[in-house]
Amino acid sequence: MASTTVESGAAGHGAEPRGKRSEDGQATYLIAVAEALWEEMERDERVIMLGEDIGVYGGAFKVTEGFLERFGPDRVMDTPIAEETIVGFAVGAAMEGWRPIAEFQYSDFMSSGFDEITTVLSRYHYRSGVRTPVVLRAPSGGGVRASSFHSVNPEPWFAYAGGIKIMCPAFPSDAKGLLKSAIRDDNPSLFLEHKALYRRIKEHVSEDPAALIPISSAAVKRPGDDVTIVTYGAMVHKALEAADTLAGRGISAEVVDLRTVYPIDEETVIRSIEKTSRALVLYESFHFLGIGAEVASVIAEKAFEHLDAPVMRLAPPNHPVPFSPPLEDAFLPQVADIEAAVDRLSAW
Amino acid sequence: MRSDATANERPLPDERLREMLSMLKLARYVDERLEALYRQGRLPGAIYSGRGQEGTHVGTVFALEPRDSLFPTHRDLTAQLAKGLDLNRVLAQFWGRIDGYLRGRDGNSHIGDWDGNRTYAVMSHLPIAYPVAVGAAWAYQRAGDGRVALAICGDGATSNGRWHEAINWSAVQRLPVIWVVNNNQFAYSTPNEKEFAVPTIAERAAAYGIPGVRVDGADVLEVFAAARDAVERARGGGGPSLIESVSLRWRGHAGHDPAKYVPTELLEHYMRSKDPVKNFEERLRDLGIVDDAAIAEMQARVEQAFEEAHAYALASPFPEPGDVDKGVWAEDGYWTSDPGRGGGTEAG
Repeated sequence: MASTTVESGAAGHGAEPRGKRSEDGQATYLIAVAEALWEEMERDERVIMLGEDIGVYGGAFKVTEGFLERFGPDRVMDTPIAEETIVGFAVGAAMEGWRPIAEFQYSDFMSSGFDEITTVLSRYHYRSGVRTPVVLRAPSGGGVRASSFHSVNPEPWFAYAGGIKIMCPAFPSDAKGLLKSAIRDDNPSLFLEHKALYRRIKEHVSEDPAALIPISSAAVKRPGDDVTIVTYGAMVHKALEAADTLAGRGISAEVVDLRTVYPIDEETVIRSIEKTSRALVLYESFHFLGIGAEVASVIAEKAFEHLDAPVMRLAPPNHPVPFSPPLEDAFLPQVADIEAAVDRLSAW
Repeated sequence: MRSDATANERPLPDERLREMLSMLKLARYVDERLEALYRQGRLPGAIYSGRGQEGTHVGTVFALEPRDSLFPTHRDLTAQLAKGLDLNRVLAQFWGRIDGYLRGRDGNSHIGDWDGNRTYAVMSHLPIAYPVAVGAAWAYQRAGDGRVALAICGDGATSNGRWHEAINWSAVQRLPVIWVVNNNQFAYSTPNEKEFAVPTIAERAAAYGIPGVRVDGADVLEVFAAARDAVERARGGGGPSLIESVSLRWRGHAGHDPAKYVPTELLEHYMRSKDPVKNFEERLRDLGIVDDAAIAEMQARVEQAFEEAHAYALASPFPEPGDVDKGVWAEDGYWTSDPGRGGGTEAG
């Protein structure tokens, strides 16, 4: 997880991100995100982007490299370092018919725009009926030795606000299809891109600009019979790795990827529990009041009669993400931790 | 401040000046009646009196066109009425009825009518609307159609970081927006001298590279002249302006606050010499634009309008409790549905 490599074969400025796919046509998570943005910018002139250093520089992670040259400074706007106003600007422009996408360099800095997100963006439609189709997108999550201020998982802060849909995809295809859905949705969205996945994984991603992944739709990423691991984001990959090992020991784990963490797809989660009767909820947001706390509640409330064991949770503690590699590794759930948790669940 | 040279000017046609006076008198009467009803326990929720500051509200909004947008605070109900909100529906909002502009989702002066009169639904966290006005003003600049945004906050909100963020950003992009500070000398109980170290708020404009002017909020036409200049500059591509309009908050921060922290002599001075309603009435009388009979008729119409609106509000049904969870998401259609059962039509 820790290693990141510079994207090779990057196309020049003004070239569409699809040209940055690997020779066999696969796209990284980062390229998939860029393709979604590009295609939606091409499809709908009301789609605009704003953020710190997204234009000339191409974004802190280079997601928007080439966009300024293709779409111009009216639609790809470099902003002052003013997160409250980045969000407020997006709301104001949305109220005037635009469909703004605001990039935060790291999701950590969403707290610098907290009031405009939680007081304005999340509540305005319920209060007034005025639509605010804003997408706030940001790299989130840990595991890249970025320490406390560049590793946060902010999804619970904003899920609690209500009124904002929150996506945390784990795969390039899901990232592309979900981001396109978020841009087209008439509600506000928070789109959290796990930075540890940006360049780490690649897969075949649809080239059809009309291909979408529906919001609030979970996906079974690996079918199994004995235990369900409900998770999202980078933890999906750890769960899949653990499931491989567990299979060698005769334990069949089903991995459910929430993809959208608010509002969640309860039906897919419960259907899986009905089959396996055991649930491990694995999440990278903090243990107490994290997304998984709600998932565990849903399972307890709505699938109790199907359970053969208590719902188990595995998540980091509620304290800052530490820097030193052994500390961060101890902080984040690791594959061995997942296997141990599943073993405890299976032995119940 | 007003000089003798401008005392006899008529910056607007007589009919428009009469409308100004009528609006001032309506605002004053609404404010007094709402306070009386609140104290009698006949009005639910809260009230935020704008008494003594009507000159700021009417003077600025009369410089706008219907297509321009207004971003007010809870103190600025008068500005919303001047922008065109229907008093029937305003009072329906105060009484939590379905015919209120926000269908009972919010109350009192936390009101807005974006799709109709282009006013932004008020929020409490001031100056929370300033960043949103930046986005709206960007949309007007982009459209190139001469529209402007006008945002109001109090002196208290100028201590908040968003005040700086928004004005700075608007100055950088030369956006068509007018920043109005209703300096009523108190942020709740905190006086100007504990809020900022510079002599005036207006001079802060220099730090952003925009024009700033300080006007006497008791002189409606002085406020209007400053607002008209700022609006013309914004429409012509000259960028934002800052207007500090000085008045005094005659009543407490909210209905429950007796405001004993305001020095009695100061309050008496303002009520005696700096009453924007009384001063304007005398001015129009001096100019021969109204006489005693016209003023009496105007006052009678204002009182009748309030009583009719009060009756309308009380006759309007409460929202359906079963609808409480609707309208969070655009797709549930609540806000595009007919509110039904209402006591009145759009125009009241």
